Amino acid sequence: MPIRPFRPLQLPAGLGLNLIVLLVLVLLVAAPLLTILMQTLAPDRIGAWRDVLASPLSPNLFWRPAANTMILGFGVATGCVLIGGLLAWLVVMTDMPFRRLIGFLATLPFMIPSFATALAWGTVFRNGRVGGGGGLLEGMGIAVPDALAWGMVPTMLVLIAHYYALAFTVIAAALATVNGDLVEAAQMTGANRRRVLFGIVLPVVMPAIIAGGSLCFAAAVSNFAAPALLGLPVRMQTLSTRLFGMIEIGQVERGYVLAILLIAISAVFLALGNRLLAGRRSFATISGKGGRARRFALGTARLPLTALALLICVLTTIVPILLLIAASLAPMASALFSNWTLQFWIGDADPAFARGQAGILNNPQLLRALSLTMGLGAIVALIANVIGILIAVALTRHRLRGISEAVSQLSFLPMLLPGIAFGAAYIALYGAPIGPLPALYGTTTLLALALTAAMLPFAVQTGRATVAQISGDIDEAARLTGAGFLRRIGAITLPLASRGLIASLLLCFVNVVSDLAIVVLLYTPTTPLFSVLSYRYASDGFHQFANAVTLVILAISTLAAGLAALLRGRNRPWLSS
Amino acid sequence: MMRPALFSLCLTLPLATPAFAQDLDMLTPADLLPLAQEEGTVTVYSFTSRIGRVEAAFEAAYPGIDMIGFDLSSTEMIARLRSEASAGIANADVIYVSDSPVVLTELLDAGLIAPYVPPRVADLLPDSAKSPVLQQRLSTKVLMYNEESYPDGAPVDNLWDLTQPAWNGRVMMVDPLQRGDYLDLMTEIVLRADEMAVAYEAAFGEEITLDDGITDAGRQFIVDLFANDVVLFGSTDDVNVAIGATGQDAAPIGFTTYSDRRDNADEGWALQVANEVMPSNGIVFPALLALNPNGPNPAAARLAVDFLMGDDTETGGAGFAPFYVAGDWATRTDIAPHPDAIPLDDFNGWRIDPQQTATIRADVADLILQVQ
Amino acid sequence: MITLNQLGKTFGTAMAVEDVSLTVPEGAFLVLLGPSGCGKTTILRMLAGLEHPTQGIIRFGDTVVADAGRGFTLEPGRRNAGLVFQSYALWPHMTVSGNVEWPLRVANLNREERRARVAEALEMLGVAKLANRYPGEISGGQQQRVAIARMIAPRPRVLLFDEPLSNLDATLRVEMRTELLRVHRATGATAVYVTHDQIEAMTMATHVAVMNGGKVEQFDTPQRLLSDPASAFVARFIGTPPANLIPVQDGSWFGMMPCAALRGASGHGMIRAEDLMLANAPEPGVIAANLVEVVPMAGRRLVTGLVQGQRLTAVTDPHSPLPADLHFRLPLAAAAIFDVQGRRVI
Repeated sequence: MPIRPFRPLQLPAGLGLNLIVLLVLVLLVAAPLLTILMQTLAPDRIGAWRDVLASPLSPNLFWRPAANTMILGFGVATGCVLIGGLLAWLVVMTDMPFRRLIGFLATLPFMIPSFATALAWGTVFRNGRVGGGGGLLEGMGIAVPDALAWGMVPTMLVLIAHYYALAFTVIAAALATVNGDLVEAAQMTGANRRRVLFGIVLPVVMPAIIAGGSLCFAAAVSNFAAPALLGLPVRMQTLSTRLFGMIEIGQVERGYVLAILLIAISAVFLALGNRLLAGRRSFATISGKGGRARRFALGTARLPLTALALLICVLTTIVPILLLIAASLAPMASALFSNWTLQFWIGDADPAFARGQAGILNNPQLLRALSLTMGLGAIVALIANVIGILIAVALTRHRLRGISEAVSQLSFLPMLLPGIAFGAAYIALYGAPIGPLPALYGTTTLLALALTAAMLPFAVQTGRATVAQISGDIDEAARLTGAGFLRRIGAITLPLASRGLIASLLLCFVNVVSDLAIVVLLYTPTTPLFSVLSYRYASDGFHQFANAVTLVILAISTLAAGLAALLRGRNRPWLSS
Repeated sequence: MMRPALFSLCLTLPLATPAFAQDLDMLTPADLLPLAQEEGTVTVYSFTSRIGRVEAAFEAAYPGIDMIGFDLSSTEMIARLRSEASAGIANADVIYVSDSPVVLTELLDAGLIAPYVPPRVADLLPDSAKSPVLQQRLSTKVLMYNEESYPDGAPVDNLWDLTQPAWNGRVMMVDPLQRGDYLDLMTEIVLRADEMAVAYEAAFGEEITLDDGITDAGRQFIVDLFANDVVLFGSTDDVNVAIGATGQDAAPIGFTTYSDRRDNADEGWALQVANEVMPSNGIVFPALLALNPNGPNPAAARLAVDFLMGDDTETGGAGFAPFYVAGDWATRTDIAPHPDAIPLDDFNGWRIDPQQTATIRADVADLILQVQ
Repeated sequence: MITLNQLGKTFGTAMAVEDVSLTVPEGAFLVLLGPSGCGKTTILRMLAGLEHPTQGIIRFGDTVVADAGRGFTLEPGRRNAGLVFQSYALWPHMTVSGNVEWPLRVANLNREERRARVAEALEMLGVAKLANRYPGEISGGQQQRVAIARMIAPRPRVLLFDEPLSNLDATLRVEMRTELLRVHRATGATAVYVTHDQIEAMTMATHVAVMNGGKVEQFDTPQRLLSDPASAFVARFIGTPPANLIPVQDGSWFGMMPCAALRGASGHGMIRAEDLMLANAPEPGVIAANLVEVVPMAGRRLVTGLVQGQRLTAVTDPHSPLPADLHFRLPLAAAAIFDVQGRRVI
């Protein structure tokens, strides 16, 4: 037999990586999604599609909620990018005072549950439409029109106040890596600040802006708490309130159809965003030498802009937190600022108080839930982000037609899936043993898998924004040394991406810790979690306890954020002066 | 398909065969106890967190049996039971659930739960509370008002008043398309269309005229109620605050849970039920107790259901204590009504028939969807 | 004409530039030469207006563009100066022609004029064919040309270069030097060029300021730097090969070969490579060395040996045989003598 020279099969670079991440996504995301889809296609259920799309019901069941959802999604994404982007710019690129403080505060709103922000809104703007005494403004004799108290406007504002932190995180990380030379080159031409900002800086960080905007869009269209609290009184329904309601009243198929449509619509818009990203060239720093960061002098605008930034931060972080604290101290939800007591925190079980419930710090389950939740949160955040970085690398470095599109879309979907449907699909898919693999039902592993999938959108989006900023040369330089893919990820990409990564880890951690919808279907009493504890209190009508638990979660998240900031120490060029 | 050892063991044991289950159904608590102790644990899926207090009482009463309680909303429980069944998993032993119309169609008809009436209490229950599934207690969604704002009693005496201009934008309830019990309330109004028609005449002195395409007085009421700008919320608590908060001049009125009145002092509310309302002030609906037909601990499951039905004291004892509250009623005829609440017999609410409700519930939901 | 008058810059407590005064005429090509950290880039950035001096005055012609005493600095865009960055700083989201055109837009030139200037600049740098490419899609050398085209399109009177060739390979570097000189001549503007590469300085500059530790060691023409170095630092830095600086102690080479011409000095004596001879055997004025390298170079041969850990290089005839044992013959006199502090003594 003639000896043929060994010729390795010519495969596109990164095919292996792409296939691996695709496989992970198929297992974690596509399979559960298909399970849900199949349920709506069963012969006795397929009618739900017609009900939703083309029946006398469809205007109220689908079209109007869909329109509201899209308005909300785009409004929130725009608002978040504007506010988050403004703050990111001020913190990273200008000589504004209190940059460190504002940079820290601006990441907090996301850790505060959106219902707290909605509650804050209600406390101020609530009007007579719902009885129960009005809010602060009505208390001062100022009439509040329905449009400001209920419906689209307040829902949108509350969601912007809640989610701009996402846009801030992503955009700030990207801005910090903008080569200072690019800005100076523009200044040399005599362009004024505005022109440099809009002509150079914004376009260069456009990938991050689109990533941040997409994240906010997906978060907004899937949010339930804010539209339910602020929209229902004027009968404003979104797809998320609608599909929650349909599942809740037992019309599960319609709910699932709505979920699938929500995914489909969002996928179209997210794909447009992706296309925009893909159409642009890689904006990685062109040369190896990073320029020095140069701060814009704000001049006379310095004080007004600082005041504005501080105002935004105070309104969106401090105020909701204070309200949460008040709500955990006040015996009556209708009078948040009177008769404060620490009973809900440290009280002993007393039959005369709260039907004998002890304060949360006296709840023996709390400590166990604490360690378990923290552990699960940390592990899930870690795994999700490792997968997220791999996906981000595959998407930014090794784009392959077809596969990349699928990977990009799949990684975004979990955010749009109703948690209850997602949890159910996970039990159905992985609860029973598959071949040699053991049954995962009732294990923390199943919980971790589902939560990992749910966190992927955050991990992938922040990962993409970060990886896109790392010059390809740097990776190639490491490649020349003969370092393998994983080694390069570990030694080069991860350290360089650490800034964005830490932010993303925190986002995931907070989300895991406070997630309920998925957890409640998968937990077992041997794995008590914070969110379950909090739900247990709330379902019993004791929101004070639930708020106290939320505050504990918030405190831990804030501590983690602060710790991460300390660990990074001086390694934060956008904050050092 | 392979099953984990635990489950396959349960399935192959003679305990799980129907014949043996029949036998278990006949046993007294005393006979069940040793079998249950052998099983050692019992898992309860409960729609209320009060199961936590039952756990403690149960374990004190029957040492050696560990009760594991899961808190899940009815919807979540149904989703979980269905997906567990499709994965061949039998985790729960006892199912304690509300939302009876959905439970009956989604779980009972699909064989995911099995009825069981403890022989000890069988004679103490009306037939309606035993079939198709055991009812443990009754709760409400009824018309409530603010007794501080209206010291002379309820400001309405007929449901049709709520469709009048005086109450435009001042009737509060949870969106019936967000919560099943409110949909049940709307459905019951339709089921009682004849009574609604009579009430209409009583209110306005003339026979009701129906809109085009509206087939009965119950549906007409829903149309008129929504046309009168009924205000919808996402949760009962919000409704309670809206109606009940003290210090209101002309508080709104609305549908909520009678037993929430017990929180008046704690929360600063002045909730009171409007009982003298034509034709009725709302609905009275059951909390159900059933077994998982494939549950791993069949004896302990039956013992737990027996326990949850209360002992032979006047208030039902430790097993029933968490549920002995003003505004809820035991189904057992021998447990005394709570002294702070109207006795069930004097209460004006309609007792729902879950099976009847299930038949037209989806239609009513569609109607609401169109008029919303 | 560019004039620096007692220019200084401190960052916090660190003194980056100290008391720099020099003047170059219109159309000159000034090279700021020195090792990294010597302050040359800081001066360039002050010329560009990207840094504000903490001391002194900068004038372009008769215009004061920065005066630390009055706290005055003219905006970078109003100095009629262009800068080529070491990183090129091409805007990655704009095409090649977009990059060149943007400054013209900022300057509010009309469309016709912009098109003509972009075409002219791209043509001049030979990158017209790349007009529609993005920076990420062209090579480093091409990026460099685009960066230069972008700088010259607005026709600035002052051209500033921050180590522009340091990222290019050797061949390209030589090519670009010529290119830069051509552009400089064509525009007639005054150029200020920062580099650590003395060959670039010697080949391109009309004036060189050799910098060290924030100060100017010597400001002169390239020829004078070679013929008349003002300090040991300059002597070591300049020349291909650079001159040999041999330690001298009390009038003796290496502290052991007394020489009257050293006049008892201590420090370093400078011997140009072309003045150093090879010898075969030890004799007075000859010192043994270990052969390090032999480099043929343009009809000559550089022979480098190690004496007491010190490299000595001689330029020799490529055809004469190498001695079996390498010895260097020192000339009778040093070309220059520097004291221990490196100051020129003789």
